[in-house]
Amino acid sequence: MTTPMSTMKWLIRRELWEHKGAFFWAPLAVAAVIVLLFGGGFLYAIIANPSFHVQVSGEQVMTVNGLPPAVLAKLATAAASSYLVITAPLFFVLPVVVFFYCMATLYDDRRDRSILFWKSLPMSDAQTVLSKAVTALLVAPLATIAIGIAASLILLVIGLLGGAIKGINLIAPVLANVNFYLAPVYLISFLPLYILWALPTVGWLLLVSSWAKSRVFLWAVGAPLVALAILAWFDFLAGRFAGVSMNVKWFGEEIVARVLLGVFPGIWFGEVNGEALAQQQQAGLDGPLLLGTSYATLLTPGVWIAAAAGCAMIYGAIRLRRWRDEG
Amino acid sequence: MSAVISARGLTKHYGKRIAVDSIDIEIAAGRIVGLIGPNGSGKTTTLKAALGLIQCEGELSVLGLDPRTQRDELMKDVCFIADVAILPRWLRVKDAIDFVAGVHPRFDRSKAERYIANTKLTPTMKVKEMSKGMIVQLHLALVMAIDAKLLVLDEPTLGLDIIYRKAFYQNLLEDYFDEHKTIVITTHQVEEVEHILTDLLFIRDGKIALAASMEEIGERYVEVMVGSDKVAAARALQPIDERTVFGKSVMLFDALRAGGLSRTQLAALGEVRNPSVADLFVATMKGTYA
Repeated sequence: MTTPMSTMKWLIRRELWEHKGAFFWAPLAVAAVIVLLFGGGFLYAIIANPSFHVQVSGEQVMTVNGLPPAVLAKLATAAASSYLVITAPLFFVLPVVVFFYCMATLYDDRRDRSILFWKSLPMSDAQTVLSKAVTALLVAPLATIAIGIAASLILLVIGLLGGAIKGINLIAPVLANVNFYLAPVYLISFLPLYILWALPTVGWLLLVSSWAKSRVFLWAVGAPLVALAILAWFDFLAGRFAGVSMNVKWFGEEIVARVLLGVFPGIWFGEVNGEALAQQQQAGLDGPLLLGTSYATLLTPGVWIAAAAGCAMIYGAIRLRRWRDEG
Repeated sequence: MSAVISARGLTKHYGKRIAVDSIDIEIAAGRIVGLIGPNGSGKTTTLKAALGLIQCEGELSVLGLDPRTQRDELMKDVCFIADVAILPRWLRVKDAIDFVAGVHPRFDRSKAERYIANTKLTPTMKVKEMSKGMIVQLHLALVMAIDAKLLVLDEPTLGLDIIYRKAFYQNLLEDYFDEHKTIVITTHQVEEVEHILTDLLFIRDGKIALAASMEEIGERYVEVMVGSDKVAAARALQPIDERTVFGKSVMLFDALRAGGLSRTQLAALGEVRNPSVADLFVATMKGTYA
């Protein structure tokens, strides 16, 4: 049976076939490096040092063979609530991958003319473009999150076992800490927010990818930056000679930043009042507080307007694709 | 029977250049039509318009639908090869079959696998590892396994060797084609398709130069090997083309031209036979590149 849903499933699977390297191998490679670097480094440190030393000016002043319970508890809380942080580099890889994926995806098949093959099959331009948007906004982040959680757990196990061998047994307190189980939930809870913030960028890149006849990167990145530069120059001249000032900063933040940087996870912290986060007392990350302050950015209309504009640009990409068959 | 493709005043401009100039086409179901024309004559543009790939002016209906506004609906019953060797480089043979089987309700998986088995393709092979001919084989295997009402093939055998080309056209006729299907083919290798065609459409400078069934062509056009003593008499009958083969004049006559000519009249001039489509094409297109 062929239904719109099953066609969508196959279209997304097609994207994964084509971009397996970017969506899976790249984050897996980064995760492997993190695990080897931190996990390997930690194991080496344990093997090389029989116990924890505190050295001052090369002279051993203290040897610790155990920790007071209060410090242990704090360590356990920190480990349980922030063990996912170690995979942060993965979330720098993700936006890069998504950015270049969106920019190329509706252009490459026009350039190599394989669009003529896809267009010979019974699927609409809307399905095709939406499958790419879903891949960028949902599938790619989910893959990165899954790989990130797996790598973090491996590192946590190495850390806990290594600590236990050295007499600092945090296994029980970490496993008993509710944050250990909630941390992945918190991480996944960021996804809807991420999608909303990434929509304008994904929409813009898909639009350019669907429209450009060549030099997609130049159009996608250059056009907004040149517009910003022209506006800034005009503003400078107008301010100097006519005493009029335009809000160039607004254009830069609300338009250029949103269409180019929206795919970066955590971009919303630019709008967050940092005081609440700075004042947190708890050891490790306070997941609910982070989520709360992040989702609070939805109270400003900017995010919603930009997300709506992103949807409009995706619609534009669909319309453009209808008649853009020749490279 | 209603027309599968019907166009009235179909026109396509590229800027100021007219690629297709107000043509009328009527293709009935159960036909195999050869759309034949020199490079840049507008064949591909006409086909692309019929497939809803480009905008165009004029009336256009394919299987009762307007390809410009009802393309998604139309593609359930239409399949095409617009250009060979354009499969994406990262695609694997087995993924290609899985994908088409997943999205196309009229795809017969076992048929595609049977075609593939006759080639050197293996399931895990990627398109980028294939020769040009192998890519075409994969593409044809996928398309031939789709039970479409209308199949459009634009230069389908480019890059294939003659053995595979012959086998392909044989398959197309025996395995694929039936009275409910319609096939439109463009190709430069006219000799290879002429025995399977039921209709001919010659296109020149964006206009239809000739539209006829093969039977009509057989009745209408006559080639005569004129004896050297009768050349002057034959020329008086205004042949549409004349060439020399081994010192003998071969003249092509249009029996429908003003005045009319009968076969017996022509038989008096020399040996009479049916012209090949290629010869007819060359005669019709005379002066195209002049």
